[in-house]
Amino acid sequence: MNTARHLSLALGAVAAVLIAAACHDAASPQDTITAGILPGHNKGGSQCADFRLTGGGRVDKPEPETGKSPPSSHDFATFGFQARPDAACPFDMAGSGNIEWNEHLETQYGGGFAFHGRVTLFSTPNDGTETNPQCGRFGGFGRLNPHNGPTEEDVSFEVNHACDVDEPGVGQDHIYMRIGPLADGSIYFRHSLLSGGNIQWHRLTGNN
Amino acid sequence: MTTKILLALTLLAGAVQAQTVTGKAFGTYVNAAGVTSQSPVATLPSSGGMATGQADAFGVAGAVDASRLNAVTTGAVDNKKSGAESTSELEQVSVAGGAITADVVTAVATAYFGQFTGGSDGEGSGFVNLVVNGEAITTEVAPNTRVDLPGVGYAILNEQIQTGNGVTSWGMTVNMIHVVLQDALTGLTTGEIIIGSASSSVAR
Repeated sequence: MNTARHLSLALGAVAAVLIAAACHDAASPQDTITAGILPGHNKGGSQCADFRLTGGGRVDKPEPETGKSPPSSHDFATFGFQARPDAACPFDMAGSGNIEWNEHLETQYGGGFAFHGRVTLFSTPNDGTETNPQCGRFGGFGRLNPHNGPTEEDVSFEVNHACDVDEPGVGQDHIYMRIGPLADGSIYFRHSLLSGGNIQWHRLTGNN
Repeated sequence: MTTKILLALTLLAGAVQAQTVTGKAFGTYVNAAGVTSQSPVATLPSSGGMATGQADAFGVAGAVDASRLNAVTTGAVDNKKSGAESTSELEQVSVAGGAITADVVTAVATAYFGQFTGGSDGEGSGFVNLVVNGEAITTEVAPNTRVDLPGVGYAILNEQIQTGNGVTSWGMTVNMIHVVLQDALTGLTTGEIIIGSASSSVAR
């Protein structure tokens, strides 16, 4: 897939996700996507954020519940990611990085799956969490390997927000992952406080 | 005055450069009967970033069988805060000829520091449908739980090893199943099997 098509799909996916998010959460502000840009480095007229995010761990119950599911339950996901603005900032909100997301719940899409995503967009959130200055939002495309089914390529995803609330991250930091539309037209999402691991927000200083 | 400024800048530069993160995760390690075998390892660069190590399946006859092995480690270094998070997961796990089985094994090791303090933990680590010596374990397994495996040796479940000095460095290693193989007659250690390992550390 060429870069131009990828970008077009990515922006389209973000727009679709914004609409879908509004359906799920009527309280979410309906800002335009450009409202999510944090004034950061500006190259050639494009604006990109001035922070980055890393994180990894585990999520179980939907927010605001905390803690792990019981030992007999597959209802959890694990993840790891790094996401940041593209150093060259070729277009507004250009991002880079990767995310791994492993869903274990058998009743989820594909009987559970492993998702490997590549970050192409990175900005501040616009779903209400932007009031916390240490939240970020990113998205892109990736490969989804369902436990029961064929591999799907170029599946769009968006982390509506990943928030570094405090240290340690368990019970405080939170993440909202959306993947799709999937082959059956559905959209996967999981929105949880961390039951393991941590998310860290870092201001870009030029050295990192 | 100039000398003091240079000294301060040197100390500051040294402090920044000294900050490091480490992260490592893997699904399985087997050292038995003179044979060593390990599934893909995710190793975090000292400057931070992300690394993965994955395999669809892994098996060593009589020692371990597992599928969907996923190891991920991420981290970042900053002059205000740094962190490393490592996760290892396996599914359909069978160890030591079926002495230990589990639907899912998850190891999570986290280390971090902020401006004033730091810490490390193994929160998020766990088993799904763990069975040991034919007995289902239906509650959370406490860190460093020892179980005997007749004819095999013993195992430490949810092994958690803290590292670092707690002042300028913090770290955690989690081995969800650590089997120590022993000679049935002499009791001498003959090998080991590690399932679901995640390590993270930070230093400033």
